[in-house]
Amino acid sequence: MINLASRDILHGWGKFLFTGIGLGLLIGATLTMAGVFRGMVDDGQVLIDNSGADLWVVQQGTLGPYAEPSSIRDDVWRGIAGIQGVAETGNAAYLTIQMQHGGKDTRVMIVGIEVDRPGRPGAPPYLTFGRPILQGHYEAIADEKSGHKLGERVRIRRHDYTIVGLTRRMVSSSGDPMIFVPLKDAQEIQFLKDNDALVNERARTAANPAFNRPGVPGLLEAAQASAAQARNVNTVLVRLAPDANADTVAGEIQRWKRLTAYTKAQMEDILIAKLIATSARQIGMFLVILAIVTAAIVAFIIYTMTLAKVREIAVLKLIGAQNRTIAGMILQQALGLGVIGFLVGRISAGLWGPAFPKYVLLLPQDAIGGFAIVMTICALASLFAIRAALSIDPAEAIGG
Amino acid sequence: MDNVDKPAIRLSGLKKRYGSGDAAVDALKGVDMTLWPGEVVGLVGPSGSGKSTLLKCLGAVIEPTGGRMELAGEVIYDNEWKIPDLRALRRDRIGFVFQAPYLIPFLDVTDNVALLPMLAGQDKATARKRALELLTALDIQHRAGAQVSQLSGGEQQRVAIARSLANHAPVILADEPTAPLDSERALTVVRILNDMAVQYRTSIIVVTHDEKIIPTFKRIYHIRDGRTHEEAGEGRPL
Repeated sequence: MINLASRDILHGWGKFLFTGIGLGLLIGATLTMAGVFRGMVDDGQVLIDNSGADLWVVQQGTLGPYAEPSSIRDDVWRGIAGIQGVAETGNAAYLTIQMQHGGKDTRVMIVGIEVDRPGRPGAPPYLTFGRPILQGHYEAIADEKSGHKLGERVRIRRHDYTIVGLTRRMVSSSGDPMIFVPLKDAQEIQFLKDNDALVNERARTAANPAFNRPGVPGLLEAAQASAAQARNVNTVLVRLAPDANADTVAGEIQRWKRLTAYTKAQMEDILIAKLIATSARQIGMFLVILAIVTAAIVAFIIYTMTLAKVREIAVLKLIGAQNRTIAGMILQQALGLGVIGFLVGRISAGLWGPAFPKYVLLLPQDAIGGFAIVMTICALASLFAIRAALSIDPAEAIGG
Repeated sequence: MDNVDKPAIRLSGLKKRYGSGDAAVDALKGVDMTLWPGEVVGLVGPSGSGKSTLLKCLGAVIEPTGGRMELAGEVIYDNEWKIPDLRALRRDRIGFVFQAPYLIPFLDVTDNVALLPMLAGQDKATARKRALELLTALDIQHRAGAQVSQLSGGEQQRVAIARSLANHAPVILADEPTAPLDSERALTVVRILNDMAVQYRTSIIVVTHDEKIIPTFKRIYHIRDGRTHEEAGEGRPL
């Protein structure tokens, strides 16, 4: 039997192709939205994976260090390091700031890491160019997405830093590129006040009779020195011994150190389930609307294409074509349109995805799922046209 | 042939009423008609006389409201359809030629003709062989691979005639087949219909207003106000 659908498509291939391309651009937008969601999830996941930590120790009762502010003293790691099952600890400070680069404002996450010993948790796991930070101050490693080049001097708050290394896919949960600096610099950036604020703070402390007693020499100086110190970090990253149980060690830390410790699974829950939950619902709603719009457009196109063939369908019915032959022709055309649309959509999403400011992750399983959904939508949308075709009276082929 | 002594079509008191009550219109009020195998007869009448209704009843496209129809000796309607699958009846035993050829534009000439046997279950090769036979008989085999849009009106009508013959239908219903053609081409089409009727022992009813071709029929049915009467035609040689 002749494949009527393919013959019709070949006969009017230009119209069919351009219709498919139009549909494909819409499907491309839908796939991109799914990719944006996947990118958000992946940003959260790489943040967790690239930190190299098994546990995150933060200020008690907070969801820090990424979802909520957390501030703990930078010497608590000593006590944590002594707990059984802890192999390595590393202080880390995280701070999102706006900085100028190339004449444009760029949002970056400053990450303070301990540079005294390589391999501590918190440091970037690999570099694409350059070397690790070796000096205690004013060297930085930047994510390639920040646009910085090796050897470039960048100004962060009050100091200039030299980019000594570049890394890749090191981003915050919001997709902002990371810039790694020595911990002490990050503490200064995050906690140390500027000069005017320090002068004001000293004057305020000096005016306080509790700190400025004539009979206690050195008290005022000690109080002012204490206020000017930046001795806090956001988290202590913990790497566990191979045989250690994360929940057990986290429980020990919480029990003895009056801190909160999150395991990797808990941190994934915070970053992926909680932090992007609203965005996920937002994107989900948008995907549903796009799916409905796609279905409506496919239904309209197939319906219009079918109505343009009323006479041919009437002739087919008159000369004895069964309903299944006619329905099959319309269904195959709808599916054909879906295949063209999906291919165009997938290629389009792949081409324009990298141009998006945030990471767009197009997963093969999403493409397979998207293909199945497009085919289902096309099949369902063709039902309207099939219904219309089957109701065409074969007598329409006969005049009068 | 088995049915050589049986009429290809016999209608007895065929009626068709549209609507009901005060709005009822009797389009056919008891049509009697007999056609013999290999015969070409004309069906003429003014607009609204019931020509198209009769053709639709004969083509099993609409259901009559009374009377009896026989096709090649088999009763297909006797106050109700006696055949369960009317599409199969149309596909296998009735050929249609329309005022406009109504070929399928996305199929080439051969496949337009081969489609009918394929719909009846024949394999593609056999169906296309049959199509080429008919296209050769109609002297249009040289356009076998052409697209419909590349054919002239007369050529398209020949392809439509070939399609109507593709399943060896004993009856062909031709609805104003020469209307869009000039005199020469119109007479050519009628000659082809006559030749095909003789060659394939097919009965052909030609509904027409065309004064050029009416004299060519040996028998003519006039239809007026839903009733037919038969008269002898001139049977002018083509």
